[in-house]
Parts: sequence; C-alpha cells; structure tokens
Amino acid sequence: MIFEEVKYRYKYCLWIVLFGFILSNKISFAEENILQTRINSSNIGDTIRVKGGLYIGNLIVNKRLVLISDENAVIRGSGSESIITILADSCVLQGFQIEHSGRMLVNEDAGILIKSSFNKIINNELHDILFGIYLLHSQHNLIENNKIIGRRFLDVGQRGSGIHLWNSHWNTISQNEITDTRDGMYIQNANNTTITFNRVYKVRYGLHYMYADSNYFYGNSFTDNMAGAAIMYARNITFRKNIFLRNRSFSSFGVLIQDCHNSTADSNLIIDNRIGIFFEASTNNFFKHNLIMKNDAAIQIFQNSINNTFTENNFIDNLSPIQIIGKTTSSNWNLKNVGNYWDDYGGYDLDLNGTGDVGFKIQNVFDYLESNYPLTRLYLYSPAAQALSISASIFPVIEINKEFDNYPLMQPISTRSIAEYFNLIKSPKNNLSSLLIIFFSYIFFITIYIKVSRKNLFPTSSG
Amino acid sequence: MKIIFEIAKQEFVINTRNKWTLIFTIIFGILVLGISYSGLLAEGFSGIQNFSRTSASLLNLTLYIIPLIALVMGTLSFTSDKGSMELLFSQPISRKQILFGKLLGLFATIFFSTAVGFGSSAILIALETDFSGFAKYISFVFLILLLSIIFLILAAFVAIVSFRKLKAFGTVLFIWFFFELFYDILVIGGTVLLKGQTANTFVFISLFGNPVDLVRVGSLIVLDNPTIFGAAGAQLLRFFGGEFFSFVILIFTLSVWCLIPLFIASKKLAKQDI
Repeated sequence: MIFEEVKYRYKYCLWIVLFGFILSNKISFAEENILQTRINSSNIGDTIRVKGGLYIGNLIVNKRLVLISDENAVIRGSGSESIITILADSCVLQGFQIEHSGRMLVNEDAGILIKSSFNKIINNELHDILFGIYLLHSQHNLIENNKIIGRRFLDVGQRGSGIHLWNSHWNTISQNEITDTRDGMYIQNANNTTITFNRVYKVRYGLHYMYADSNYFYGNSFTDNMAGAAIMYARNITFRKNIFLRNRSFSSFGVLIQDCHNSTADSNLIIDNRIGIFFEASTNNFFKHNLIMKNDAAIQIFQNSINNTFTENNFIDNLSPIQIIGKTTSSNWNLKNVGNYWDDYGGYDLDLNGTGDVGFKIQNVFDYLESNYPLTRLYLYSPAAQALSISASIFPVIEINKEFDNYPLMQPISTRSIAEYFNLIKSPKNNLSSLLIIFFSYIFFITIYIKVSRKNLFPTSSG
Repeated sequence: MKIIFEIAKQEFVINTRNKWTLIFTIIFGILVLGISYSGLLAEGFSGIQNFSRTSASLLNLTLYIIPLIALVMGTLSFTSDKGSMELLFSQPISRKQILFGKLLGLFATIFFSTAVGFGSSAILIALETDFSGFAKYISFVFLILLLSIIFLILAAFVAIVSFRKLKAFGTVLFIWFFFELFYDILVIGGTVLLKGQTANTFVFISLFGNPVDLVRVGSLIVLDNPTIFGAAGAQLLRFFGGEFFSFVILIFTLSVWCLIPLFIASKKLAKQDI
C-alpha cells in the first residue's frame, strides 16, 4: 500500500515538475524565484545550467557556484536593489541577460554586485541598470566580454557607472562594451587593475581613476564621451595603444590628467578632441610615441604641472599646439636630443640627423593670448590673429614663454599599425575620377561664364 | 523695376567683359577647388571631421579676397569715366534706380564669377559628403555672398561721398585694412585690458561692429560647431540665447549692415551735384 502511495505521489510530483518546466519557459510567477530556489538547494561547487527564458527576481549567490546559461536566459530584477549579488568567492556567471535594477543612486543599485574575490563574469549583457557591475572590496576578479547599456533617459549625473571598482585590487576588465552610463569605468582605491580592449562610448568619462595606483590599460577605445580618460589622484598609471576619439563638447578632453604622477603614455591615438591632453598639478609623467591629431588644442597645461616629458610624439593638424594656463611650465619637450614632430615646424635639417637644426617655439602669441584670455579665441582664424603671430615671429620683442622643442623631428613617427588596429585608415579613394569631375565642372563653369559675358545683351545699343 | 534691371544688365555686361574679372574668376576658382580637393580627398583617417578644416581654409581665403574684390569693383563702377556717368544721369530715371541697378549688376557679377569656384567645389562636396555637409556648405556660400553685398554697398557709399576716383580708392583700401586687421587687433587688445563681465560684453558687442567678424564667427558656428571656440563659444551662445537665435541675430545684423549705408548713400546721391 505504502509503495502504491509513494508511486502515486511520485507521479503527481512528476506532473508538477513537468508542468512547471513548461511554464518556466514562458512565464514565471513573481512570487516564485525559481533560480534562487535552485541556488539555495545546490551544493558548493555545483554547476547550474540555466535554460533560456525569463526569470524574475533578484538573486543572491552565497556559495561557490558556476551559473551558466547557453541560451541567454533573462534575469529581470525586482526593480529595487541590485539584481545579482555575489557573496562567495570563485563564482562564475556566464551568458545571462540582466535587466531592471533598482533606481536608488545612494544605495548604488547595480546589475551585478560583487563582494567577493576570484569571480568570473563573462559574456553577459546588462541593460536598464543604474550601475553595471559593482566590485566592492573584491580582488582578483575577471570581467570579460560583457555589454553594459545604461539608462539613456536619465541625466548623466543621475546614472551610475558601467563598471565600478571600490577598494578592489588586482582585477582584470577586458573586452567589455559600455555605453549610456555616467562613467564607463570608475576605479577608486583600486590598485593593479588591468583594463584591456574595452569599448566605451557616449558616457561622461570613459575611464575614471580616483586614488588608484599602478593601473594598466591597453587597447581600449573611448569615443564621443565628455572625456576619454580622466586620471585623477593616481600614481604609476601606464596606458598604451588606446584611442581617444571625438570627445567633443565645450569642455571635453581626450585624456584628463589631474594630480597624477609618474605615469607613462605610450603609442596612444588622441584624435579629434576638443582638448587632446589636459594637465593639472601633475608631475613626472612621460609621453612617448603618441599621435595627437586634429584636436582644437593639443595640450592644455597648468603652470603647476612640472617636469612632464614628451618625446617622439606627433603633433599634427591641431588648431593650437599648446595652451598654458599661467606663465610657463617646466615640461621637457625632448629627451636626450630627441624631440617631437610638429607639423607647423618650419626649420631645416642640414646635417641630416633627423632632427631640426633650429629649435621650435611651440606657442605663438595668439596661442598665448587665447590660453590666458579665453575670449580672444573668438578671433581664431582671423587675419588679425595670424598677423600677430607672424609679426611676433619676425620681431620677437615680447618674451612670452620658454616652451621650446630644441630637437624637433623632421618626419612623423609611424603610428599606422595602431590606426589599422582601430580600423581608422580610410581606404584610398579613386582620386582620378574625382579629379576629372572637378576638371570638367571647372571648364564647364568657365565656358558658361565666357559665353554669358560675350553674349550681346543689347543688340540695338551696341551697334 | 524694369529700369533697375536694365541698368543691372548693362553693369553686368560691362563688368563681366572686363579682363580683370575673368582673371579673378579663374584664379579664385582654382584656389577654392584646390582647397576643397586636397581637404576632402587627402588620404588619412576616417570618422574625423575633415571637412571643418577644409572649410576653415576656405573661410580664410574668402574672408580676404571677397571684401577686397567687392570694394574694388564697387569703386571702379561708381567712379568710372565722367562721360558715361553723365550720360546715365541725364536719362529720365531716378538716381535711386541707378544706384540699385548698378549694385544689382555688381552683385550679379560677383555671384557669377565666384560661382565657378563655389559651384564646381559644390559638385565635389555633394559627391564626397552627405547632405548635412552640403547644406553647411550652401549656408557658408550664402554668408560669403551676403558679405560681398555689404562691401559693395560700402564701396558705393565711399565712392559717392568722396566723388573723386583716387580719394575713393584710398578710402576703400583703408576700409579693407581696417575691417580685416586693425579692428580685430584693437578688440583683442581691449579684451586683454578689460576684466570679467565687462570683457565679455565688450567682445560680444564689438563683433557687431565688423561684418567680417560676424561672417567669420557665424560661418564657424554653422560649418563646424560652437565648440571650436571653447569656453568663449559657450559664453557667446549663452549671451545670445542659443544657436538658432545667434544665427537669427547674425543675419539681422548683416542686413542692418546692408541697409544703413545703402540708405545714406541713396540720400547722398539724390542730393549730389554731378
């Protein structure tokens, strides 16, 4: 009898499980948090494979688990607090779509909140979230290949960061895509972070360091932001082969460096920003092999930034090479007889050693005026501004400052390989056909002109 | 109205048959085309506003040349040899009609001779950029033509007031030099001397005193965007209440620059003893 009863109950349970399984693929009930139940009932170290579908409710991962969804299961938060909170070490979260976090900026509601170490967050997509991935006192985590989309309808100041690190060291952030958040990556009190190959666009600051030392970022792209990277109160930052492109608004920067010391920038592309590199109260930084091109002002530097070194950089097509706030800076524009390439250098190289024989005076009178009296920039491109610069170079009566590159390079350093990596090289156009079109249109217009001017408009009076 | 057109036609024929106008047309066309070609088609990086640099170079070229050409053409026309002027004035037409007719003819000449350069580079730009780039270019050409009208009227005004050819030429060259160079240097000097809000107001008001500056700032705002001026651009827009309003104010001021000298010149001409 007992056996019969068990069999009956078992059958009953089976039906329920089957029914639940079918339901869970389509809808699930708000009060029933299936995933949380599975997490609670699993053992430490288990792997939970989540099928596709919609799962509603916040999750707390409080033991070492591997959560994988091969079918991009959607985890929809309850709309308050963080969606997934990871409290145990060495968890893996892979392949989920995570959406609808809380909206309290003071509580820092995030898509994924990590309070533990050695976790891996891979291949997730986060949207409709306040903060994206928040690391709190968490070391040695890997955050890779996630896509984070913030709440675009909020004001920039009301949004959270894409990836937020607080008091977390030795983390790796790689190949993520971040947009529509406040800061792309906000790194505070976090040392030894490695940030590689991320793409950040349309945010306030692409990368924002506060009190973070010995960080390394490589191969990232920062486009259309308020500032590409804002490096503040940091030491020993190294950044290589990043691109800072089109960061344009009234006060936008490619790279903003404030109170930052002993940093190294190598082979970065800083193109088409309002201000390429901004320095304030920063010392002993080293810039080499960077391309600083087509910015409104290549460098804006405060007088209190001293002993920064620039060598073998290309300064091409910038409207102003340098704006100095104050009188002068003790920047080194060359290192051991090797300076930078300046496209408006007009000197010569008689001994053919690759560097110009006369020094290059970086700032002209108009640059000096506009950096100290910003309103005079309205006279940009005016004949008066050009006349001032030319007359000051012919009659150097006024000593404006001592920014000299004594060994300017005659040829630019090649940065083509980096530009190719970022797909920046414009495919060469068929110039011949355009040239022909121009030529014939020109001839056409001239012929019309001559025809009309020779036409007798007054047949009666001309005789 | 018919008389004005007749005079304009005659003026147009006289000016376009002038060898100097032909030379100007050819050279201006080559310069404009050269700049737009090298700016648009130079091999380089994609995704970057190449066009703004091109237009800035174009702006530099046209801001020098167009006022000068307009001034010289205007003066030549209004101080041409006494015989033909006397013949024209003896006809049964009002002097206002003569003035308007001549100005219209002169403007047609400038429009026609700059059309070679502007027109063929418009074809190039239409082929190489999208619609917004082309619209920007058209508004730029519009502003430049407006500038040429202002300087034609100024030339007519000077020629009528000074009456003698040599005096008129001297004055006109001074006007060109003043508006191109001297005025701006004075204002830059003033900005450096003044402080805070006073400097702001001084600079923004002083823009209106010079049509060349108006067109330069207006074109840069239209072609590029106000961010090119940095903080000063932001202040400028706030001072005038936004991008649209700045443009309206710009066009309004330029028309005032047309109308006032035109009014005075026509009054002067009506009373003048030929």
